[in-house]
Amino acid sequence: MSDQDQPERDDSVLAGEYTLGLLSADEAAAFEARLNREPDLRVLYAEWAEDLTAMTDDIAPEAPPARVWRGIEADVYGTTARTPWYRRVMLWGGGITAAAALVLVVGYGGLFDRAPLPPVDAPYAAELAAEDRGLVVQALYDDATGRLFVEREAGSAAPGRALELWLIAGEDAPVSLGVLPDDVRAVLAVPDTLRDRFAGSALAISDEPEGGSPTGAPTGDILAVGQVRDL
Amino acid sequence: MQCFPAKLLQGRKDGEGILTRSDIEDLILRVAQGNRAAFEALYDSTSAKLFGVALRVLKDRTEAEEALQEVYVKIWHNAGRYTVNGLSPMTWLITLARNTAVDRLRKLRRSADHTQIEERVVDPGIGPEDATIAASERSRLVACFGELPGDRAEAVRRAYLEGETYADLAGRFDVPLNTMRTWLRRSLLTLRECLTR
Repeated sequence: MSDQDQPERDDSVLAGEYTLGLLSADEAAAFEARLNREPDLRVLYAEWAEDLTAMTDDIAPEAPPARVWRGIEADVYGTTARTPWYRRVMLWGGGITAAAALVLVVGYGGLFDRAPLPPVDAPYAAELAAEDRGLVVQALYDDATGRLFVEREAGSAAPGRALELWLIAGEDAPVSLGVLPDDVRAVLAVPDTLRDRFAGSALAISDEPEGGSPTGAPTGDILAVGQVRDL
Repeated sequence: MQCFPAKLLQGRKDGEGILTRSDIEDLILRVAQGNRAAFEALYDSTSAKLFGVALRVLKDRTEAEEALQEVYVKIWHNAGRYTVNGLSPMTWLITLARNTAVDRLRKLRRSADHTQIEERVVDPGIGPEDATIAASERSRLVACFGELPGDRAEAVRRAYLEGETYADLAGRFDVPLNTMRTWLRRSLLTLRECLTR
């Protein structure tokens, strides 16, 4: 058989070769670049992917050992996640930046007339900070009024995402305190049932879909945590 | 995006339940938003199939476990791209698993010494999966394989399930590389014509 017998290598054949993994690295990269901009080519590829996947129809499922999932968790969450993250927060204790909250109490002039002002005599404070300090939120809480003042010093929600604030009291699972508004400063009303639970607790911020966690528990990454301190 | 059964979000449900296509699609979309509960539910409902695929390609449990881990890490990071690729959800997942396993197998082959390669690759004849594929007459693909000369279908199958390259296949069927390319491209033309008939 000579080269003249080579069938015309139309795009469908090329897509089939790509799906089978028969292209060279250069050819595959060129094909993928075309896939990104040519919807018709994506259709051809999708046809092959669907059809050739039929070769796996008769492969029996087999449950993988549990260590695989643990490895995945360790990889994508950066932790084995055996200990719930909010327990680990509690374990860290109150050693974090004892002075930071005091910064909040002083120094607010009339720069933002319409923004809420921090309470002057709040008994509790917390600094919630990401490890790289890409997100830093100061919180002051007055248990007499149930008002939780928050100020975002650094960072913001990713586009189309929300920052949700959580209270972790004792051994309990996190309870939502609400989604942080876009405003740099805000006051959140703490529900009566949680009003007395701030002493010795921790606060955390998670990355959530717009509008907040759909499940009532944190679903996204924990972006920042901080121990609540008595002032 | 509709919600899927809430119980799926409440924790691990080993081996329970069969999800519909749209259930799996919803899970993938939630994984794209960083939803860990959805990720775990997706793992619970699809990992056995993907592990089966990885085992089939790699024929080694340790390698297959590592491949499976790699697959789900990719899923976590790339779920957002699922919506634009046009594949059905299980096809996307199986394709990821197959491709990851094939990449790993090829690396192993490259690093193995020559004699090991010979042992691994020279495995003539029909394996059990050939028999099962032959038995599953429902499959359009199998029917269309029937329209190819015998060893041409085998070459396509080996490329997909064994990750064999043009060079591997040319060696196996003892034909020049260009001949193998021609065979395979012809086979793909025939298959596509048959599959769209």
